[in-house]
Amino acid sequence: MNYSQQRAVIIKLIKSLAENDSWCGETHIQKASYCLKEVTKTPIEFEFILYKHGPFSFDLRDELTAMRADGLLDIEVNPYPFGPSLKVTETGIDVIRRFPKTVGEYEEKINFISGFLGNKGVAELERLATALYVSIPEEAGDRAVQINSLKPHISLDLARKAVTEIDRMIQSYNGLP
Amino acid sequence: MAALCHDIGHLPFSHAAEKDLLPEGWNHERLTRELIASDEMQMIWNSITPPLRSDDIVKLAVGNKQAPDLKFSDWETILAEIISGDAFGVDRIDYLLRDSLHTGVAYGRFDYYRLIDTLRILPPAPSGESEDRSTEPALGIEHGGLQSAEALLLARYFMFSQVYYHHVRKIYDIHLRDFLLKALPDGKYPVTIKEHLEMTDSKIISMLHEACQKTDNPGHHHADRIINRKHFKCFYQRTPNDLKINPAAGRLISEAAEKEFGEDKIRYDRYIQESGIMDFPVLLKDGSVVSSLSLSQVLEKLPVVAVEYIFNDPDLDTENTVEKWLQKNKKDIISQPEGEDT
Repeated sequence: MNYSQQRAVIIKLIKSLAENDSWCGETHIQKASYCLKEVTKTPIEFEFILYKHGPFSFDLRDELTAMRADGLLDIEVNPYPFGPSLKVTETGIDVIRRFPKTVGEYEEKINFISGFLGNKGVAELERLATALYVSIPEEAGDRAVQINSLKPHISLDLARKAVTEIDRMIQSYNGLP
Repeated sequence: MAALCHDIGHLPFSHAAEKDLLPEGWNHERLTRELIASDEMQMIWNSITPPLRSDDIVKLAVGNKQAPDLKFSDWETILAEIISGDAFGVDRIDYLLRDSLHTGVAYGRFDYYRLIDTLRILPPAPSGESEDRSTEPALGIEHGGLQSAEALLLARYFMFSQVYYHHVRKIYDIHLRDFLLKALPDGKYPVTIKEHLEMTDSKIISMLHEACQKTDNPGHHHADRIINRKHFKCFYQRTPNDLKINPAAGRLISEAAEKEFGEDKIRYDRYIQESGIMDFPVLLKDGSVVSSLSLSQVLEKLPVVAVEYIFNDPDLDTENTVEKWLQKNKKDIISQPEGEDT
């Protein structure tokens, strides 16, 4: 996937998240992109590390800023006291239109991720994405304990629920035709 | 110690062309890490009571992005953000004020005393959901310090757009890179600690003067451009109108110009600010925490610094050749939509 094709995929993901009632803040987009990469194996090239609210990509953060500068995304300021959302512009929609093959190839994966995560808030996304992060090494031990150790503000009980939920997500994805 | 060590891995002339002049897998942050962990520095860490651990210093000096192999506690993440973070990093506070002073521009100044006094560690502001909010701590500010934060971010915007990414300053970075690609062994800076420490601004300036004087020096041509101010001229910079027609307008014009005039006669440069939305928690007098963007129209409207320049060799431009070519062909070049067939 080249740079422009990758842009088209990320813009499509943001549009699809919005259509699935996502708040579409930077955190929502970060966690959905991470799940798109790791659950569906969509070959986006952003490197994720464990940072704010779980897996986070500085490259993706910079790319979202670049897309704002290029007029493909806009900040939508929400009413007091809430944080902002990102919205795809008409120029952004045009980028999706110009890459029909690439967007078509990954559309089902994008729709799966946004359908699963669209209605979730930052705290739940943080728990789910961190659960996915600790699930990736095959020798992972008690994943809930690892989540609680990496993010002490996530209780062991909520970490266990997140592990169950992320397993359900992976199974649902693997069960797709 | 971490704050003092934050910049020690920088190459001569700071960021200029670091990507092209270091071997694959290296950047100045990696050099910083190597220096902090070196035997020489270890002796200093051991001599302090209690002794310091180099990994602890590395974490705070370079932050999470550059040390993904190290495990950060919430507290360490916030301390690293205080040193090098996007919104309130002390590195940024320092370089804006210092560069403003030394370049003689008024842009980079702001009330950093007020800013520092009002910094707080806070839970994140709500983002769409009233319940089940994350409680991960983040660096934020008291309501009374919001204007000083706005002033810092405006200072950054003006310094980047008027000084750091001014087109003449940028073309000298490119000429310096072109020179060093010829002048350094294999076109790369050395990365051993001893050799890195020997590479100073003064050494590069001497190399430039020597290469400028000797016509058989491989870097002579580029050194002559820098020393005698024969720099390439900017003939295109991005505009909102061109972007609306085609977000890849700058790159397409550059490629067409290279084809028309030759690769060695054209240089292309693009920079877009590396940071996210300036959304940080703000503590109100009643104890509630809200998003900075829900309070500040300045932060909401603050543009992203984005520059894109195309330069040409001044030898080409005796009769405004390049400008005339651009005027005649720009519309056709940028109206070619980049994309795929269905």
